Amino acid sequence: MIRVTAMTEPRKPEMKGQNVGIGEYFTGDFVMTSIGLGSCVALILHDRKWKKGAVAHVMLPESNGKMERPGKFADTAVTVLYEELISGGSNKRDIVAKIAGGSSMFKHFKGNLDIGSRNVTAIKEALEKYHIPLVEEDTGGTVGRSIIYYPEDDGKVIVRKADGKCIEF
Amino acid sequence: MQLTDKQLDAMAELGNIGASHAATSLSTMLMSQIDMTVPEAIMVDIAEISNYFGDEISALVVFEIQGELHPGGYVVLHLPKESAIRLTNTMLGSTDMERELNEMDESALLEVGNIMVSQFLDATATLLGIVMLPSPPAIAIDMAHAAFSSIVAQIAVDIDEIILFRTELKSGMHDIQSTIVMLPDTNTLDNILKLLDEVLNPQL
Repeated sequence: MIRVTAMTEPRKPEMKGQNVGIGEYFTGDFVMTSIGLGSCVALILHDRKWKKGAVAHVMLPESNGKMERPGKFADTAVTVLYEELISGGSNKRDIVAKIAGGSSMFKHFKGNLDIGSRNVTAIKEALEKYHIPLVEEDTGGTVGRSIIYYPEDDGKVIVRKADGKCIEF
Repeated sequence: MQLTDKQLDAMAELGNIGASHAATSLSTMLMSQIDMTVPEAIMVDIAEISNYFGDEISALVVFEIQGELHPGGYVVLHLPKESAIRLTNTMLGSTDMERELNEMDESALLEVGNIMVSQFLDATATLLGIVMLPSPPAIAIDMAHAAFSSIVAQIAVDIDEIILFRTELKSGMHDIQSTIVMLPDTNTLDNILKLLDEVLNPQL
């Protein structure tokens, strides 16, 4: 009782602003969004004075020297976002960081490398290295998150969680 | 890693055989006709995964591929939440759609996943002449992209593109939609391609 049919087109999620896909990063004063963060972490560096910022969708903690996709790894993502803001005219003392993500949804699964919490730790270490204050975070736990970042609205970030909860910071 | 069109076709054919077996087992379980799409194998950049898996709440049942190839990679059964509820309603004899997925649903979904993915891997492995077995499954009821990318993170240290290898199985009678996705580890993929080549072009 099997019948072969045509594949339905994947339903693209509706998104506000520029979507930051896995391993990508964007800099600017436009609205940016990152959907479905699981073990991945959205790293947001916000310039409080110029009301602009940068977002990276970090997937893994360590680049081990790989430079092709700086947004993909925690260490290179912090560096590239910071340098982009500085070279765009931002002053070091105006830059603050916010992070969201890093959950662990397959806790009891064999082969689980706990990438979520390692991502969070690696980002925090890299931020300390650059003396960038981490002003807000919503990390860990077991549910996924989507974020929207509004640079011009004082860097407001809305975190929507898979369990229906919503946080604003 | 770049795959040629021919290799992608071969992968799709492999998926066809696996998915047909999974579809048959689903058809038996639901006692209904199953519509199956022609399987596709596509290269997807990790940044574009959100085009295939959005932030809608879904059930994802995940298996690690074990057996001769290790690390083998993963096989994922994906059902949008409404489909997951309809599926377990059919199995558990309920009609209540206005509810959340509970523990009973989760174990039912793990069981369905286990049967389908075992069939999928068994048929695939038989064609390749190797042993592939699914690990005990894990389940997440979460945003599809969040759960799926957490799996991809386990295999994507060195790669920026994944082979998305998917088939949709639909039961029109029960309005259930599901997708099987195979995420082979890089080494596994090499092996599969080599074995496929031997199967398709036998040495005389």
